[in-house]
Amino acid sequence: MQRNEAVTAIESALTEVLEREVSGTEESARLFEDLHLDSTSVLELLMSLEDLVGIEVDPDELDADDFRTVGTLTDFLLTAKGSPADEPLAARG
Amino acid sequence: MSSYLRTMKESVSGDPNAVFVFLCNFEVERRWAQSYTGLPGPQVSGSDETVQRLEELGALLGAEGDYLLLRSPLDPGFRAYAEGLGLAPPSELVPENFPEGASTSAAVLGSPVLLDRLRALGRAGAHLMPMGTSADEQKIAEITGLRLAGADADRAEKVNSKIYSRRITEQLGLRTIPGACCESVDELARALDTGLAAAPAVIVKEAYGVSGRGLIVLRGRTQADRLLRMVRRRAERTGSDRLDVVVEHFLPKRADLNYQFTVGRDGGVHFDFVKEALTENGIHKGHLMPSRLDREQIADLEKTSLALGRRLFEDGFFGVVGVDALLGEDSLVYPVLEINARLNMSSYQGRATEALSRPGGVVLAKHYPLRLERPLTFTEIHEALQGFHRTGTEDTGILLTCFATVNAQAAAATGPFDGRLYTLLFAPDRERLGKLDHGVTERLGALTARKGNPR
Repeated sequence: MQRNEAVTAIESALTEVLEREVSGTEESARLFEDLHLDSTSVLELLMSLEDLVGIEVDPDELDADDFRTVGTLTDFLLTAKGSPADEPLAARG
Repeated sequence: MSSYLRTMKESVSGDPNAVFVFLCNFEVERRWAQSYTGLPGPQVSGSDETVQRLEELGALLGAEGDYLLLRSPLDPGFRAYAEGLGLAPPSELVPENFPEGASTSAAVLGSPVLLDRLRALGRAGAHLMPMGTSADEQKIAEITGLRLAGADADRAEKVNSKIYSRRITEQLGLRTIPGACCESVDELARALDTGLAAAPAVIVKEAYGVSGRGLIVLRGRTQADRLLRMVRRRAERTGSDRLDVVVEHFLPKRADLNYQFTVGRDGGVHFDFVKEALTENGIHKGHLMPSRLDREQIADLEKTSLALGRRLFEDGFFGVVGVDALLGEDSLVYPVLEINARLNMSSYQGRATEALSRPGGVVLAKHYPLRLERPLTFTEIHEALQGFHRTGTEDTGILLTCFATVNAQAAAATGPFDGRLYTLLFAPDRERLGKLDHGVTERLGALTARKGNPR
């Protein structure tokens, strides 16, 4: 899975969960503060991502840091898919 | 002392003039939840320190002769401000040892000098009034001799389960939101089948969900199947199919409600108030007083309080109880969504609203999110809101009720951080309340580090 595919999947899942169009996000965008995800929606987001990306997530093993930004969630997805993160997060600002 | 506080003290201690040591342990729900299995999911929150610093709300509940346990002292500016409004805070008690990451209760238990001070207060007959009682607060009472102003930890934990609330609501014949209690994965599967056959959406709530978390709205079969898949996978992994959740049909609502009653040490039940609760996706945003209920609906809630209070007392509980309820689109009051057998956000507003609200007026409790580049002093916040403050002469104005949450995340931040300012807004009517809210939002927006990010 390519990095941009993971970001697109996250945007699709956010669109479903937040019930509004989410696209063109920066990887530095914070899920809670900037995109206004709330804590009750995290499980819904994970369920949606499982279907979209075809992964199985063990939500209890997830770290709060994975949900900090679009970029950190992308890293998590790529790891879950077994794809290497193609560039370090710091380089993407 | 406010009559609100006198009544509370008399109910739970037998003496309206009892000295209370307040411990506003907002994290207590997490302690109660530890032995139960809720929804799968990470505990995501960027605001743990903010939640803990809500303890400062106790500054405007306790009277001058009371005490308040705090992680760090009140800002002197905040104390002077409260005193100037006739709301002198209790004396502050701060643990001398504070290990990183500890709750205030744990820090108290690790502070021998403070414990000696509390023992002296215990010998003088003072009571410990935690927001809610878990093992730590019970231990503080036991080793200091402070009398607990409520039931012990085991009873408090038991009656705070949403499964318990649902069962006693059904047993008492009160109007119940259609749904089911689930203590296994199979029970959840059956409840989802039944629920989605009868309603367009259902809500699954953890029995011990922390306010605003631990719930999910399922708007159809696809989402229900996704959840069941995750829950079954976890059951396979852990070897246990235990689950502690309730499933409720999603009901269109006109308003969320929050009411409070106090079960006395002698079993007497006192109805304290009902307010309209403002929520977004189940997350608490504030309270509006008075509620839009008519006299008959309020009388019904008083009767409900009496029935619930008697039942809780039969189960060994006494103390302050907050109940979340719902006014449906059908104009029916559904009197129990959940019982929070502890103090609630609204509990801490009683002394200030009694002192500062006017007959016929409206009061809004709300918090304003802030995005800050650096910690602010109380004086800076106060000056930013110049002209909007509630004074003795103006009917319309704002009261700042908790300052510590403004800078709570500053220490851990490497850049801009999020803060919250908790307030009460007073006005003669809803129109002027709306204008005040708008004005305050604009002024606080000017303090915010990054623009264009309203929440």
